[in-house]
Amino acid sequence: MRITEHPLLSFQRKRVIHFTFNGGPLEAYEGETIAAALHAAGIKVLSRSITYSRPRGFFCAIGKCASCMMNVNGVPNVKTCVTLVEEGMVVESQHKGVLKPFTGPKKSHISHMKTQVAVIGAGPAGLNAAVTAHAYGASVLVIDENPHAGGQLVKQTHKFFGSSRERAGTRGTEIAKILYREAESFVMLQAAVVGHYNDRGHRLVLVKDGTLAELEAEKVIVATGASENMLLFENNDLPGVYGAGAVQTLMNVYGIVPGNSVLMVGAGNVGLIVSYQLLQAGVKVVGVVEALPRIGGYHVHAAKVRRCGVPIYTSTSILKALGEEYVTGAVTVSLDKDWNHIPGTERKFDVDTICLAVGLSPSIEFFCQAGCRIAHIPELGGNTPVHSPAMETTVKGMYAAGDAAGIGEANTAMMEGKIAALSCVKALGLSTLETEKESKESYEELRLLRSGSFGERARQGKERVFAIMEELHE
Amino acid sequence: MREKAEAVIIGGGVTGCGTAYSLAKKGLTDVVVLERGGLCTGASGRCGGGIRQQFTTEANIALAMESVRLFEQLSEELDTDIEYEQGGYLIIAYEDDVDQFRKNVRLQNSLGLHSRFITPAEAQEIVPLLNTDPIAGATFCQTDGHANPFRVVHGYARKAQEMGVEINKFTNVTDIVAVDGHIQAVRTDKGTVKTDTVVNAAGAHSRDIAAMVGVDLPNKPYRHEILVTEPLEHVLDPMVISFKTGIYFSQQKHGSIIGGIGDPEEPSSYNLSGSLRFLKRMARTMVELVPAFGHLNVLRQWAGLYDVTPDAQPILGWTEGVDRFCQANGYSGHGFMVAPKVTELVAELIVDGKPSMPIDDLTLSRFEGEITGEAYVVG
Ligand SMILES: Cc1cc2nc3c(=O)[nH]c(=O)nc-3n(C[C@H](O)[C@H](O)[C@H](O)COP(=O)(O)OP(=O)(O)OC[C@H]3O[C@@H](n4cnc5c(N)ncnc54)[C@H](O)[C@@H]3O)c2cc1C
Ligand code: FES
Repeated sequence: MRITEHPLLSFQRKRVIHFTFNGGPLEAYEGETIAAALHAAGIKVLSRSITYSRPRGFFCAIGKCASCMMNVNGVPNVKTCVTLVEEGMVVESQHKGVLKPFTGPKKSHISHMKTQVAVIGAGPAGLNAAVTAHAYGASVLVIDENPHAGGQLVKQTHKFFGSSRERAGTRGTEIAKILYREAESFVMLQAAVVGHYNDRGHRLVLVKDGTLAELEAEKVIVATGASENMLLFENNDLPGVYGAGAVQTLMNVYGIVPGNSVLMVGAGNVGLIVSYQLLQAGVKVVGVVEALPRIGGYHVHAAKVRRCGVPIYTSTSILKALGEEYVTGAVTVSLDKDWNHIPGTERKFDVDTICLAVGLSPSIEFFCQAGCRIAHIPELGGNTPVHSPAMETTVKGMYAAGDAAGIGEANTAMMEGKIAALSCVKALGLSTLETEKESKESYEELRLLRSGSFGERARQGKERVFAIMEELHE
Repeated sequence: MREKAEAVIIGGGVTGCGTAYSLAKKGLTDVVVLERGGLCTGASGRCGGGIRQQFTTEANIALAMESVRLFEQLSEELDTDIEYEQGGYLIIAYEDDVDQFRKNVRLQNSLGLHSRFITPAEAQEIVPLLNTDPIAGATFCQTDGHANPFRVVHGYARKAQEMGVEINKFTNVTDIVAVDGHIQAVRTDKGTVKTDTVVNAAGAHSRDIAAMVGVDLPNKPYRHEILVTEPLEHVLDPMVISFKTGIYFSQQKHGSIIGGIGDPEEPSSYNLSGSLRFLKRMARTMVELVPAFGHLNVLRQWAGLYDVTPDAQPILGWTEGVDRFCQANGYSGHGFMVAPKVTELVAELIVDGKPSMPIDDLTLSRFEGEITGEAYVVG
């Protein structure tokens, strides 16, 4: 399942690592997550569900859905998609978590840290926010549970559109590296923020290497990104039904293909780009189905996919996944103008992977916990934290940036991160003569990024959010 | 919404829905339940689901024992699996608890409850993961246990509706109209229901409801926090609790550990937010008792309100000064476990005019004299 040749990417595989899965020996490469290594070894069923004993594989591959949990070295419920495989690791499937005897201290110890600006999430929004705040002399700490910084950028091999002076024409993978290089000294990876508390300012609780730490912050920028949407269809929980982002991660970060043949669901930009990336990695794409009567993504992306001989079926949806333990096929159906299934139009595809590219929802858990006002804004992906143009939410000192503040794309995320950081800088009294100017430029840049017809939906969504914020202030 | 009803119940928690069910079962189906949120969104939907009979006052022991008898058949009666498990309550005894606990067991035994005082070694047989170093013993009663409050409340509600009770959700009671001590109607943000009988089952908000007819309840709201962990294999039969630390926890049917801890420094308030202080105290205390839980991840924490009376016993029955105004509140943190019997008694009072078990010790008027309280308050 490992990619050996790729037109754009080269995978320098590091040291070979030995571990066991359900007692049997397996090999992996250093830097791979457990889930990726197992997938490379052809293992799709990681565990079984608690109540109905259904097979479980990974779905999101970025630590957001808990579908990939296994027992690792005797610790139950470890998210294997964000846990790096280590020499000698004992990995086991689980039905229910099993406890091993606890050897740790009987009294829990919680360490204490302090920072001016805490940034949750090391994607484009979070990293750019951190770099900006740091440049003004603020103490900054970025926390991300993934083993790699860069968020969704690390898997975006396509060149960026948009007007951004610095980044247009650069591949996402490169942008991630540049940003991380600037921020590396204040980024903490493989650490999960598990709670936000408003007692006496902002307090975050994080888990790192199995221990808890408390982080006291004057300002918090939540740049937690988004999680992929699921679709309702029969057998949608079978291993082999993967989010488009997960497929990208697997291919472009780890150099592992998701399967041999794929049905793509969703013809927005993500569905089209990932289809093309699958083709580049040598995977067969049997077709792209889209429930809307038209293709949602950019014309250039659709044309590229079509040129490779991949049909795009509009007004078509997925009806069910076939297979017992993992996907062995898919059945699609045509839809009439009222979205009803048209009987007799079912079509069966022999595929081992169904890739869902049906949109994203902002990851808003921390906003909810902090008591931020949330509004349902369909243009921004659903439930969104209400915020000002300066990116401050309704809870003082808590800012939102990137997909967590409403689904957009990487360029707008970077700009929002910058604006949020500049707002923190001002509130912390660290402004210089430059700050106002930089602020103005960032607002202008963001406006330009959203000015095209493809930015229109997001623009309308943001306007609604700002209007709610203003109303609350009155 | 019905324009009039023979009885109006305020509150859609276990007390409100249970009373609706009990009334309907006795043939009184012209009943309206008013709930300002969804069903089971008050303390009932936030509680630990613990069901214990090991109390220290005769009234509480009797109510709890009768309730257990009813819980044992409730799944069948409500046609729904209430996830009732009788794994017992293991009450941890520290050195200076021992004498009092032995006395309590004697009282409980005299009322027919099979509780017993056990050694640390016996406690470890019941909970193999228990760290017995800090403990001096425990009391244990096998027929104590826990159930799923959501299933109980929705089970009661559905059966009551099937028999003809009307349940109105998202309906906020704004006023009770009374003339010369006689109730005329209940006003809500969705309209008015005429009635002469009102059951005040509004949990921690009961005091506000009573104030609508000029009755002063001594109840005070206190935040109590609670958490749920990720699910794991079955490792814990009983509910483990300690009155000294205020902790309680049990394992649910689906594998999660649910538990909370009281906080002596918590002021009276309607605050429902989750605190870091709770999380730390809970983790520390739980891991000290069951070190293996140090591996567990917490999935969620939340808070609910205890509706606390001066003697930590519920307020039940008619109210002096306002005719046919029935109190069913003030459970002080153990209202779920006594709900089956309490709601039956309330229904008997309303329909037959006399409950089958005396509740004179639990009426509001008891606070006029001297009071002796329940010593066992937690989960
Ligand atoms: C954290 C915690 C743990 C607990 N653990 C246990 C346990 O293990 N075992 C146990 O037995 N007990 C436990 N308890 C106590 C138990 O939950 C309560 O005693 C019990 O649920 C009370 O039920 P109720 O129906 O009387 O009140 P509630 O469930 O609070 O219901 C009252 C309802 O009235 C509604 N209401 C209020 N005002 C109005 C209005 N103006 N108009 C309309 N509706 C209104 C509210 O919305 C609410 O739904 C616990 C409580 C908490 C908070
Ligand atoms: S959390 Fe690992 S696959 Fe989603």
